[in-house]
Amino acid sequence: MLTLFHLPEFWKALLSSFIALLTLAGIMIRPFRWNEARIAMSGAALLLFLGLISPRDALFTLLRDWNTFFFFLGMMALSALAETACLFDWLGVQAARLAGESAARLFLNMFLLGTFISMLFSNDATALILTPIVYVLVTKLRLPALPYLFACTFIADSASFLLPISNPINIIILSHHPLNLPGFLRLLLLPSVVVIGINVGVFFFLYRGQLGGSFDVERLSSPQTAIKHKAYFRYTCCVLAIVAPAYMAASAVHFPLSVVAMAGAMLLLAGALYWRRTTLCQAGKGISWSIFGFIAGMFVVVRAVERTGLTTKFGNLLLHLSRGSSLGAVMVGTAGAALGTNLINNVPMAVLMNSALVSIQNASPGIRQGFIAATMFGCDLGPNLTTVGSLATVLWLLILRHRNVDVSGLDYFKVGIIVTPLMLVAGALTMWLLL
Amino acid sequence: MRVLCCLDGTNAEQIGTALRMFTAVQPLTVGMLHVTDTRPREDMDLIRERFWRHPLHPHHAPAPPSEHLPHPSPREEEIYEAEKASAEEILKESRSYCAGAAIIGREGRPELEIVNLAAEWRADLVIVCSRAAYQSRDQIGPKSVGHVARFVVDHAPCPVLLLRPTVRDHFPLER
Repeated sequence: MLTLFHLPEFWKALLSSFIALLTLAGIMIRPFRWNEARIAMSGAALLLFLGLISPRDALFTLLRDWNTFFFFLGMMALSALAETACLFDWLGVQAARLAGESAARLFLNMFLLGTFISMLFSNDATALILTPIVYVLVTKLRLPALPYLFACTFIADSASFLLPISNPINIIILSHHPLNLPGFLRLLLLPSVVVIGINVGVFFFLYRGQLGGSFDVERLSSPQTAIKHKAYFRYTCCVLAIVAPAYMAASAVHFPLSVVAMAGAMLLLAGALYWRRTTLCQAGKGISWSIFGFIAGMFVVVRAVERTGLTTKFGNLLLHLSRGSSLGAVMVGTAGAALGTNLINNVPMAVLMNSALVSIQNASPGIRQGFIAATMFGCDLGPNLTTVGSLATVLWLLILRHRNVDVSGLDYFKVGIIVTPLMLVAGALTMWLLL
Repeated sequence: MRVLCCLDGTNAEQIGTALRMFTAVQPLTVGMLHVTDTRPREDMDLIRERFWRHPLHPHHAPAPPSEHLPHPSPREEEIYEAEKASAEEILKESRSYCAGAAIIGREGRPELEIVNLAAEWRADLVIVCSRAAYQSRDQIGPKSVGHVARFVVDHAPCPVLLLRPTVRDHFPLER
């Protein structure tokens, strides 16, 4: 519409920035409990309507990031179909049986299982699929539920930078700022191990009073009964045994990971349909479709801001704050990404940082790699600070608590505020040593 | 005398022992209460919201249809079945310690359900343990009374009998 009025560039930039800020504020505050996808898409639609970004530019931005969209789709489908095969239930029962009736060993096994699932299926699968399975297990075993639930929730993010596929945020960043697999592992594998170690250690300390007991393993069903359809279960294991090395190979040769995820998901879907374990409609329900609207909206909004030069200025500011040192790059990247993630959710923060990091292309390789790795690290681990999503949600919970309304979620925050800063600092320092 | 006993899955024997002391003195009408804590489900909802999924259905299966929520998934049914089976087992177990007791199962925040039921049931006494006995550490000392027992002591509409485990090996305390 504004194209009709030929607004000066300055006013266009101002208006674009204002709409972007309004969108981010909307995502933070979520007025009337609106869905973030609706807010992000409204921001993008307004920018398009006012002619602040051309439809061609918006379409090009979305098409350029096809790998991200398809990875999200493939990853969610893989997890949902593996759940249909009862793979996670079987793993949960096995972990419980291997604990030898000790509540503490079961706690450790759940951390290890969460790490394994996050590593291969992404944090989404651990938080959404493993958590209820563990809850059912501990309810049957008459163990205190909260320590085990918190363990699953936290390890989902703490183990989400072991591999590029462990968190879709990594794919968003790596699509724009390629880091080869050896480089990724060199910078993030050891910090992952350190962070997971701190997470396990602090949780054992915090919940030491509830983990000293034992349980009767006979309360659990056998691993065989956890499997509803043996042929589909075996087929799923075989497909995943191919998908896992395929992910590694694709990461190593810069082949789009979304193709591997989608191919794996299609194979599992074909098997599930053949053995009548699901229908297309049921499989579709395992996917959160609104996230695509959210990501698409954010890509368009950030692209409009990028054109104003604001994100370049933000990138330059980050570079300036780092004082040109690799330690500064790691610390500023980690702190900025972690704080931003808790303010506006990790997807918009990753998209924003993607754009800002373009301006550090001319920095030395150490600083550039430091910023890229720290951004992934901060965006992946940052959500553990508030866990419930964002600081706005925490403030809302605090207000409710102040009004004597007993609320869930604050317990998460209390644990997150203790353990997450510790993990962020230790992980960032380890990363710096590896640069 | 109407006595409401609060079960947590670890304290049936302890409550049974306390009841035997009372029944020797006067006849009792006993209610055995177990509350299925809904907090874990609320916590899981928060995580589901963060990952863009519908919250779990707020009611036990068979759940009434809801305008905003889809029908409970098989996973949700499994959660509710596990909670129901665990509650039934705990209540059944309590019968071996007090055969004629009324069995009461609730779901919600345990501390709130206990005090509200004590008022509703017109209890003359609430028996509650200091905390669930998942292990034998910290049986005495500053944090030995859990938040549920503390809330019940603070808010109950009738006298409360707080049961603590017998611990003699930490004494004498430093003067």
